[in-house]
Amino acid sequence: MLRNSRTKELFLVLRISALAAVASVIAPAVEFGRDVQPLLADRCFACHGPDAAQRQAGLRLDIRSAALAPTASGRVPIQPGDPDSSEVLRRASSPDPVLRMPPAYMGHQPLAPEDLALLRRWIEEGAEYQTHWAFVPPAQPVSPSSSTQNWPRAALDAFVLTRLGTERLAPSAEATNAQWLRRMMLDINGLPPTPADLQAFDEAVQIRGERAYGEAVDRALSSPRYGERMAMDWLDVARYADTHGFNNDSERSMWRWRDWVIDAFNRNQPYDRFIVEQLAGDLLPQPTLEQRIATGFNRNHVINSEGGIIDEEYRVEYVADRVRTLGMAWLGLTFECARCHDHKFDPISQKDYYRLFAFFDNVPEIGEAGRVANAVPMIPAPTGEQRRQIASLQSRIDSLEPAERMVADAWEPAASDLQALGIPEYPSNADFFFGCEESEHPGIAGRGCRAQEIKREDKVKLEEHGAFTLSLWLHADDRQPDAPVFSAINYEPDPSSTSHGNGIELRWVGGEIELRMSKRFPSYSMTVRSEGAGLEPGQWSHVTALYEGSAEKKSMRAKAAWTRLFIDGQEVATRILHDDAQAGARFVAPYRIGQDNSRSGHRFLGRVDEVAIWKGALSEDEIHDVFEAAAVPWARDRAGFELERSWLYRSLQPPGQSAALRRSLFALRRSLPTAMVMEESPERRQSRVLIRGRYDSPGEPVEPGVPEALLGRWPEGAPMDRLGLAMWLTAPSHPTTARVVVNRFWQQLFGVGLVKTSGDFGLQGETPSHPDLLDQLALHFIESGWDVKRLLRTIVLSATYRQDSAVSPDLRNRDPENRLLARGPRIRLPAEAIRDQALAIAGQLSGRVGGHSVRPYQPEGLYDGIVVGASYPGTTWEQDDGENLYRRSLYTFWKRTLPHPTMTVFDAPDREFCTVQRSTTNTPLQALTLMNDPTFVEAARKLAERVIREAGPDPADRIAFAFALATGRRPEAEELRVLIESFDRLRDSYSGGADDARKLLSVGESGTDGSLDPEELAAYTALANLILNLDEVITKG
Amino acid sequence: MNCNHFTPYSSRRDLLVRSGYGLGAACLHMLGASGVAAKPAFPNFAPKAKRIIFLFQSGGPSHVDLFDPKPLLEERFGEDIPDSIFGGQRVTGMVAHQARFQVMPTKYKFARHGQSGTEVSDLLPHIAKIVDDICLIRTAHTEAINHDPAITFFQTGSQLPGRPSMGSWVDYGLGTANEDLPAFVVLHSVASEGPGGQGLLARLWGAGFLPSRHQGVQFRSHGDPVLYLSDPPGMTRERRRAVLDGAAALNKLHYRRVGDPEIETRIEQYEMAYRMQASVPELMDVSSEPESVYELYGPDSRKPGTFAGNCLLARRLAERDVRFVQLYHRGWDHHGELPKRLPVSARDTDQPSAALVRDLRQRGLLDDTLVVWAGEFGRTPYAQGAPKPDDYGRDHHGRCFSLWMAGAGIKPGHVHGTTDEYGFNIIEGAVSIYDIQATILHLLGIDHEKLVYRFQGRRFRLTDTEGHVIREILT
Repeated sequence: MLRNSRTKELFLVLRISALAAVASVIAPAVEFGRDVQPLLADRCFACHGPDAAQRQAGLRLDIRSAALAPTASGRVPIQPGDPDSSEVLRRASSPDPVLRMPPAYMGHQPLAPEDLALLRRWIEEGAEYQTHWAFVPPAQPVSPSSSTQNWPRAALDAFVLTRLGTERLAPSAEATNAQWLRRMMLDINGLPPTPADLQAFDEAVQIRGERAYGEAVDRALSSPRYGERMAMDWLDVARYADTHGFNNDSERSMWRWRDWVIDAFNRNQPYDRFIVEQLAGDLLPQPTLEQRIATGFNRNHVINSEGGIIDEEYRVEYVADRVRTLGMAWLGLTFECARCHDHKFDPISQKDYYRLFAFFDNVPEIGEAGRVANAVPMIPAPTGEQRRQIASLQSRIDSLEPAERMVADAWEPAASDLQALGIPEYPSNADFFFGCEESEHPGIAGRGCRAQEIKREDKVKLEEHGAFTLSLWLHADDRQPDAPVFSAINYEPDPSSTSHGNGIELRWVGGEIELRMSKRFPSYSMTVRSEGAGLEPGQWSHVTALYEGSAEKKSMRAKAAWTRLFIDGQEVATRILHDDAQAGARFVAPYRIGQDNSRSGHRFLGRVDEVAIWKGALSEDEIHDVFEAAAVPWARDRAGFELERSWLYRSLQPPGQSAALRRSLFALRRSLPTAMVMEESPERRQSRVLIRGRYDSPGEPVEPGVPEALLGRWPEGAPMDRLGLAMWLTAPSHPTTARVVVNRFWQQLFGVGLVKTSGDFGLQGETPSHPDLLDQLALHFIESGWDVKRLLRTIVLSATYRQDSAVSPDLRNRDPENRLLARGPRIRLPAEAIRDQALAIAGQLSGRVGGHSVRPYQPEGLYDGIVVGASYPGTTWEQDDGENLYRRSLYTFWKRTLPHPTMTVFDAPDREFCTVQRSTTNTPLQALTLMNDPTFVEAARKLAERVIREAGPDPADRIAFAFALATGRRPEAEELRVLIESFDRLRDSYSGGADDARKLLSVGESGTDGSLDPEELAAYTALANLILNLDEVITKG
Repeated sequence: MNCNHFTPYSSRRDLLVRSGYGLGAACLHMLGASGVAAKPAFPNFAPKAKRIIFLFQSGGPSHVDLFDPKPLLEERFGEDIPDSIFGGQRVTGMVAHQARFQVMPTKYKFARHGQSGTEVSDLLPHIAKIVDDICLIRTAHTEAINHDPAITFFQTGSQLPGRPSMGSWVDYGLGTANEDLPAFVVLHSVASEGPGGQGLLARLWGAGFLPSRHQGVQFRSHGDPVLYLSDPPGMTRERRRAVLDGAAALNKLHYRRVGDPEIETRIEQYEMAYRMQASVPELMDVSSEPESVYELYGPDSRKPGTFAGNCLLARRLAERDVRFVQLYHRGWDHHGELPKRLPVSARDTDQPSAALVRDLRQRGLLDDTLVVWAGEFGRTPYAQGAPKPDDYGRDHHGRCFSLWMAGAGIKPGHVHGTTDEYGFNIIEGAVSIYDIQATILHLLGIDHEKLVYRFQGRRFRLTDTEGHVIREILT
């Protein structure tokens, strides 16, 4: 209270002086960086700037020495101290439209008189240049002296107050406890305080004073809600979504990356590490799974699966997207501009662009990809819980196996034992069979065939979406790296064709078995490889590939989860290498054995026999029978079988206890979520300048590198790869990174950054409103070890942040965007927070963190006539039930080409590319959404039930409680009167209208408290609907 | 006085950055927005068109089967397209494996129609009857060879996502002319072939980097015509009124305390929403249309969500001065079975498109309404796969394709441009997508070089750095 009265005094003094002078937002003294350079950049540099190709008349104005040197015509562009001899000024102020610059014939307006005056003064004063502020590393500013003022609470406040002093403005009074707490919690947690929070805070302030503020912030920062709130903004920057984008826009799985972000914020990972792991987690020594998942940041871009696109064209786009995102997210520079030509405004050449491009150009990726699942490179990305399950299963298997193996090894059967073994019946219903020799027993009782091209005219036809089983015996001569064993896949068409590599195939890869099913190879294929099977050359092995198919008749979903491999009748572990097969396998090419029809013409060196295919899935027992049907006669007929003893014994033994565990383990591994990640191709791609940015016009070769002259030296000893790039970016001397980052956090809290153009700190960006403050925050941030929580804590505890947000007409006219910070922030909540808050105050919000994205209510038929006419995953909205209807909005399934309307109507971007700033609009569609979206109507009902239950019998108490839940404050008398009047109108209206009441209460899937009178509940529901629509409720004030 | 009432989607902050126009300019002054650079006001000159109806034909209608007769193809059936014609054409992966690109004539008959003698194929008997009202452009071309980039290019001026759509630019420049309806309305049609087709994307009617209030508003043929337009069951108009009255009173009280003009805007937007709850259903309710109108548009026009039904709605929107009506029809992507499927697409669209032009003319609306009928590209004069007279397909073709425009300021009964004898390349009168966009803006009274928005340090235009108004097709 004392503080408030002091503030008021100060307020008064300054207000009086403010009335005396009409100051402009821009201070008077001419400063190159702030006043002249933006003008030159905006009006002149396009033709007289860094872009050499576009430079006219050889005149360059972005460098002082060039601007002062006479041009070919002999005239001096800028003559320091002598405006009248300066050709630039002469031409810019020429009354002759033919002579005047910028040229009228190109549609340019002449410079405004005040701009000309500015130029004149600047030349008079010596035409000094300065390096653009953002390219000079932040320097510790002199803290403004504030000895006479006791308003500041934090170092940052002194900077704000000084600026206000220059402007002859005073800070606003301090916000109330409740106002601050709500503002702070909406900013830090994205959710409002509960009435209990508010009360506890009030009491704490009474007892502990200022300390209570810090404790409240600490509580909010340690809540899991914090990480979710911070992730919300980062998902826009990182263009996270649950679909691939472009016109097929099918589903992808990147939620493990999203959960990594939430976790990184929650454990307050130092922000420089946050950058390093996302840029280069895979290049760290012994990267952890989480560090590899973090690199998904650079795979969040859109991926195109439109049939027939040119791979390279889109691969180049993906690389360009990474550069663009890096530029906006951390560099604060629009590097993208230099993709086709030298940057027109910032000193970035096209070559600089492609050197940066080269860091991201070496990913083993495919241009056309992502039609039904994740695109390569991707990795299995088990959750923590799944990793625990895997470890537990594995350790149980490990503890059983030695004993089981000992038993098997100890088994020394006599020949009679073998004779006694039964020979199971070979499943006779194979739809296709190829054996090498006629004999009493089928198969390897003979010698098999030398694998050679056995081209047959007949084709086996498998159902497009059905299950199948493929089984064969093989006997490799030696350890060949990669060879086709059975190939019914057509590699003949050119790789650029959509029909290249259609079919199925079984391959031998250095002792492992690989099944490929492919619509188009490699874009739309499934590749599953055995892991640790270790088939030995020089002995027979029985191999079965089982594709269990989908229960959904026309499923387009990924296939790898339904694919299992068996060696000698026993299931083996598998690894999913690629899982984007669009449709089921079809034999479109005549099959070949031991050879495929690719141009490289790989051959399998060895023997093959007993190739059989069943349409449909054989059971595990049947698969074992197929094996034994050949293995047992083979064993009986042979004397010296030592070589093959191990497989034979192991396989003929009844399955041990470990078999069931293994089955569970393999099933679990097949079901793991995957995540797209960054990887480096083993053979480095030679990057090149692309002329005019075109994928098919490669120019000179370039090596990875950064514009060191502009943005700082490459750290000594740093590798020339993404890891080095991350080290360079996070070096304390880097001029932009920390500034860009703190500026974006500032924007999150105040609505506008200290640099308003938060993605562009270049010459075309806006200069900072408080340059010293920006530097102070950036340096402090670096010194603190890039401690995000500490930074936020400092800001929300500052006097600047703690101001009341009320605004006088004068101040509003003077500073509509609150750039001077003479008041607290007042901003409509982001889309996610609007919905989350409604669910929270209705008591519906689920607290579950992370996991698959969810599908809450969405208008039926939203996708009709719009989404692609194919049943790719992600093209239908199957609404969830129960808890998933009430998860936080950052978990709502994000379909890029048609995001959830409740998100987009409140200005959420579609996330097709990096966004660092959302617009904040105010539209009738927003009104309709809040009025009628079932989410909000249901929330109103639950809020009504809550206040009836919790706020006693008096309507006025209930109404006041509902209002307080939504706004964080008690209604004032006048407000309560309006609320009660509205309620009375609604109650009278519903009274005797039980049908209407029940209809209103039927909205939403949650049950209604049956003990409540429906008419009364309907009236409260309508009133709650009113409250949820208030401007104050959806605004952080 | 409240300055926001004139436009349904204004916010105070947006007002400060958007161009001054009419009341907007007055408001800029009133708000005392010092330091905000003056922007050129739109329209830049007297517009010919007050509104536009864009009938987008997604998938790529075949110009050689519909609009651009090529008798030579008949003679050369099955022969390879000569190298001199083919040039260095990029082909899609769908035909990259083809050893040959064989000439495929159309199986449809072309004839001259009207006073102008414009030739169209017999798949378009109704368009044939309005050829004297339209201007047929046979020489449009596009860089893109695949759907997503091509349609994105046509609608946003860039093959890649991120730019505002044409309708958003127009809304940004001109604002609304109807207080009760959005300025930019989007309609989706379901083809009689079924709901298939290339995926459309919200970015095609999205605002890109413009404030998101400029994005197109979908009017739907089922469910709520505008999302969340209907009050929940049991919420009568009277009760809704009570809710909104209470909310407005509380918002006003709060405004008095905190002084944020956003609150005033919000109060207005709620009133607008309430009005839309009446005006949109009235607009969508076609039951009052006389029998003759249904006869004009054809039997499909009775079915909501068909192209015919949407053309009728487009006329109703034009009558209510909605600035930009963007209609989509899908199903033109005839890689195979063209003789079976193309007639279906033609039948779906022929009569309603012609009816719309005639209907607008009858009502005197064609004079200031621009109608555009176009897909993202054309189709190859060679066959995709084997050339069979009765069962052929065609791949995407961007080197030349046909589209038509009609109405405000467009030369009626005119054919623009000539393609070569194969319908493969342009001989004369090339029209780029940028040219079409520049021309559309021109007709709306906007100089396409002046409609700029600064974002990320760059001035962006719908037409990027290109585009010329196609003077030859203007009256």
